[in-house]
Amino acid sequence: MEAEEEYLEAEENLEAIITRIEHKSRKIETLLKQSKPVDALKTALEGSALKTRDERCKSANWIVVHRAVMAIKDVDGMISSLDPEYYDILMKYLYRGLATGDRPTCDQCLRIHEKLTEKAGLGCILRSLSDTVNTV
Amino acid sequence: MLTGTWQPVRINSLLPDSHFASSVYLRPSLFQIASPLHSTSVPPSSRSPRLNWSEQIDTGSSVVNLLSISKDSTMANTIRLYLTCIRNTLEAAMCLQNFPCQEVERHNKPEVELNTSPELIMNPDLICRNEAEKCLIETPINSIRISMKVKQADELENILAKKFLRFLSMRAEAFQVLRRKPVQGYDISFLITNYHCEEMHKHKLIDFIVQFMEDIDKEISELKLSVNTRGRLVATEFLKQFI
Repeated sequence: MEAEEEYLEAEENLEAIITRIEHKSRKIETLLKQSKPVDALKTALEGSALKTRDERCKSANWIVVHRAVMAIKDVDGMISSLDPEYYDILMKYLYRGLATGDRPTCDQCLRIHEKLTEKAGLGCILRSLSDTVNTV
Repeated sequence: MLTGTWQPVRINSLLPDSHFASSVYLRPSLFQIASPLHSTSVPPSSRSPRLNWSEQIDTGSSVVNLLSISKDSTMANTIRLYLTCIRNTLEAAMCLQNFPCQEVERHNKPEVELNTSPELIMNPDLICRNEAEKCLIETPINSIRISMKVKQADELENILAKKFLRFLSMRAEAFQVLRRKPVQGYDISFLITNYHCEEMHKHKLIDFIVQFMEDIDKEISELKLSVNTRGRLVATEFLKQFI
């Protein structure tokens, strides 16, 4: 009985998460049109549902973040203006981007990865490797 | 343990003997990388003499140098970023400790090969440079497995890469950290355990792996060039009789 309730709750949450991601993507499109890629990335990273295990939510969120990441031109400026709490999340998304194998994505992710490691250190990489609870 | 002497080995019938024999004789330089891993204060510059061996290859070596300069200026940046990313990930991931096997008493096995306990294994990291080249890093508690797929542009490079890397994998004992068979879907794999980290310097192990990745590409293109040059010479000589 309790398991069923939890399951139903999780189902609702999934729908809520997906609607939230759609809202985010619309906001990001407007920000990108206004040439604010840094703000777009911040919007994409905050509110990412890390605890959920559903693949659709993760893929939807990844598409949104990917769009924002590819629009970034000034990597140094972006990293210095990003809050430290988002470093870990960004690193996890970078590794997901590197796993895709698509050349422009990988180029961009490699560029950001180098600068982010300089700023955030090796601990950030290790947290992205070892964290199995909050996955991207 | 690691010596610089080699006997000439006939690898296969596809390539003429002298190609692989010449590269086999010059292979000792690759093994010399592993020996500084044991010493305490060998500067990285001790590795530089090994780069001169490229000048000793008989045919087309000067052509190789000219070609590589023009082509690499644009690719140099991406490969540098790719290797930096791998180096940083390895530095973060190479924190290994001894961990006796949970399943079998008094046994100590690299957990990456067993794959039985999910709590011991961290998330695997796949780092792709493009569609053809990638590197998979799997890190459980007491070992790291690094699998690489090297760039293979055409059939000839495919064959050369396969033969060359098989040649190295069969001599995995001498490398110590090499795995005898690559993981499915990759060309070559390294297996580093906590014992290796205890005996050898961690930063030198990482240097070795990154250097290996850099040099594999160069060596395969040089092999390809010498095969093509030799083929052209042979064909010219052979067809002269019909003129």
